[in-house]
This record gives sequence, C-alpha cells and structure tokens, in this order.
Amino acid sequence: MASGDSEKRKANNQMQDQKEKKRKESILDLSKYLEKTIRVKFAGGREASGILKGYDPLLNLVLDNTIEYLRDPDDPYKLAEDTRELGLVVCRGTSVVLICPMDGMESIPNPFISQD
Amino acid sequence: MLPLSLLRTAQNHPMLVELKNGETYNGHLVSCDNWMNINLREVICTSRDGDKFWRMPECYIRGSTIKYLRIPDEVIDMVKEETVTKNKQSRDQKGGRGGQNQRNRPAARGNFGGRANKPGGQQKLFQKNKPTKLA
Amino acid sequence: MTSGLDSFVNHTVSIITSDGRNFIGTLKGFDQTINMILDESHERVYSTTTGVEQVMLGLHIIRGDNVAIIGLIDEDVDNRLNLSTIKAEPLNPVVH
Repeated sequence: MASGDSEKRKANNQMQDQKEKKRKESILDLSKYLEKTIRVKFAGGREASGILKGYDPLLNLVLDNTIEYLRDPDDPYKLAEDTRELGLVVCRGTSVVLICPMDGMESIPNPFISQD
Repeated sequence: MLPLSLLRTAQNHPMLVELKNGETYNGHLVSCDNWMNINLREVICTSRDGDKFWRMPECYIRGSTIKYLRIPDEVIDMVKEETVTKNKQSRDQKGGRGGQNQRNRPAARGNFGGRANKPGGQQKLFQKNKPTKLA
Repeated sequence: MTSGLDSFVNHTVSIITSDGRNFIGTLKGFDQTINMILDESHERVYSTTTGVEQVMLGLHIIRGDNVAIIGLIDEDVDNRLNLSTIKAEPLNPVVH
C-alpha cells in the first residue's frame, strides 16, 4: 500500500515538474518570425519594424533592414507619417512592449463605429 | 480568487486590453503566463486618442505594460468550477496521508461569483467589445 | 503576509488608478502585486460642467502597478449620493 502510494506521489511530482517546465517555457515562440518582418513597440513610444534575424529568451532582438516610425515631436505616443532607416539593430528586450508580425497588419477605418 | 487564475480561464475569450501608453487592444486571448505577458489573436489596436485603428492577425504584449484587461462577465463563473475541481483533485491525492501541505485546501469560501444580488438597472448599458474610449 | 485587502473581498470598492480614473466594483480577488479582479464595475467620470457620468464596464483585471488608492465603499452612503448633481474636476494622472 505504502509503496503504491509513494509511486503515486512520484508520478505526481513528475507531473508537477513537467508543469513547472511548461510554465517556464515562453508563451512566445519567436522562431516562427525568423527571417520575417515584425513590428516592435517600445517603452517610451518608439516603434520599429525589421526582419527578425535573432533573439534570446529575454526578448533581446536582432532586426535587419529596420525602419523606425517617427513620432509627433510634441507627443511621443503619436505617430507621424515619417520614417527613418536604422539598418541592422539590436533591440533591448526589457524595453520591448509589443511584437506582432508585419504581414497582415494594416491600418483600418474605425471598426467600432457601427456600435455607436 | 487570483487575477492570474481569472486571466488563464479567459483563454480563448475575447477581451480588451489597455496599455499604460493608452493604446487598447481588442482580441481573443491565446495564452498568458505568470508575468501577465499575453498573446492575442485577431486583434484590433486603437490609438490612444481613438483616432487610428490597426488590424493585426496576432500580437504579443509584455505584461508589465498593461493597465487593465476587460474580460467577458461569464468568465468569472468558469474560474469557480476550475478551482473547485482542482482542489478536489489535490484533496483526493492527499487523502489519508495527513496532508503535509495544508495550504491548498479548498478553504471554506466556495461561493465566489455568486452573482445573485445584482444591483440591476444600469447593467444593460454594458456592450461587449466596445472600447472604453472612442473618437 | 496579508495586505489587509482580505476584508475588502466581495465588497464594493473604489479604485483610483494612476492615470486618474475612478473605478467602482466588487473586489473578487487580488494577489501579491495588488493586481485586482473587479466585478460588475463601472467608471465614474468627473466633470466640472455636467454631473458624474457612470460608464458600465463589467469584469476587469486591474494591474497592481497602476493602482493608486483602494477604498471600501459604504453602499448605504453611496446609494444616497445624487451623482448627477456632483461636479468635480477630473484627477490628473500621476507624474512618474
């Protein structure tokens, strides 16, 4: 009986371990974006897009052919139309706020308007 | 009930996320982790002033940049069931071994989310998926 | 360790967030970082020209970073308020 119990406990512990491992694994799989253009938003309001060349678990990114989207000089959270080319850059993970694929991202008219 | 348990339960549900920079994101929650980092799919991003909109197939948001999340009302009732079954399991597993770990007992407050005594009235004004800020 | 918030659970609370907004709702839970679950919540929007506007919002998770003040609401007193006659300057956001 006792041994059966301890077996059970072992199995249980293993399950817990697996669960822990799963939990520690990132919910973001950046490998699917490698060699693809992604849009990145940063703390403080900067935005850029570039081809993802590399990354680490801390969300540090290597982007190539990077474009920065310039902002309204009076409002760091408002995008202007202008861009500038940055080329090959390393983005610091701690300041990355949002990542999304450029493919399929599009500016649209107000989709909520019908509800008002 | 823990906020992150509610968030986990809200997976596959639509939600509105407002970031500290004022942008809002409407989308379905794909996944989340213990840091509140989230993946959304079929996203509509609204600029801080509510004047610009973007569609994105998916996006990843760092938890620390979130201000709040609006979650469909019914999700809170689903958390209850989940915690109850989980507690039941752990109780069964520990059965008869004098529980060395008393911490995750079900605790005698099972009636979370009892939504009986609604104040009524104004409730109807709530519209799903409507951003809090509009132009 | 308790933060003293336990006694607020399942009661109506008022939360002022660091962007200067005021949320009212039932506190359903919280964690170490003061992330909070607010159920059946509404926002009170203050203005100097019209009375207080209430915007129904429903179920919310508010991130702890963003919370400035949590207060317990006396529902009897609150129900007696005539919000449409209350005029007030909106709060400014916290400056970091």
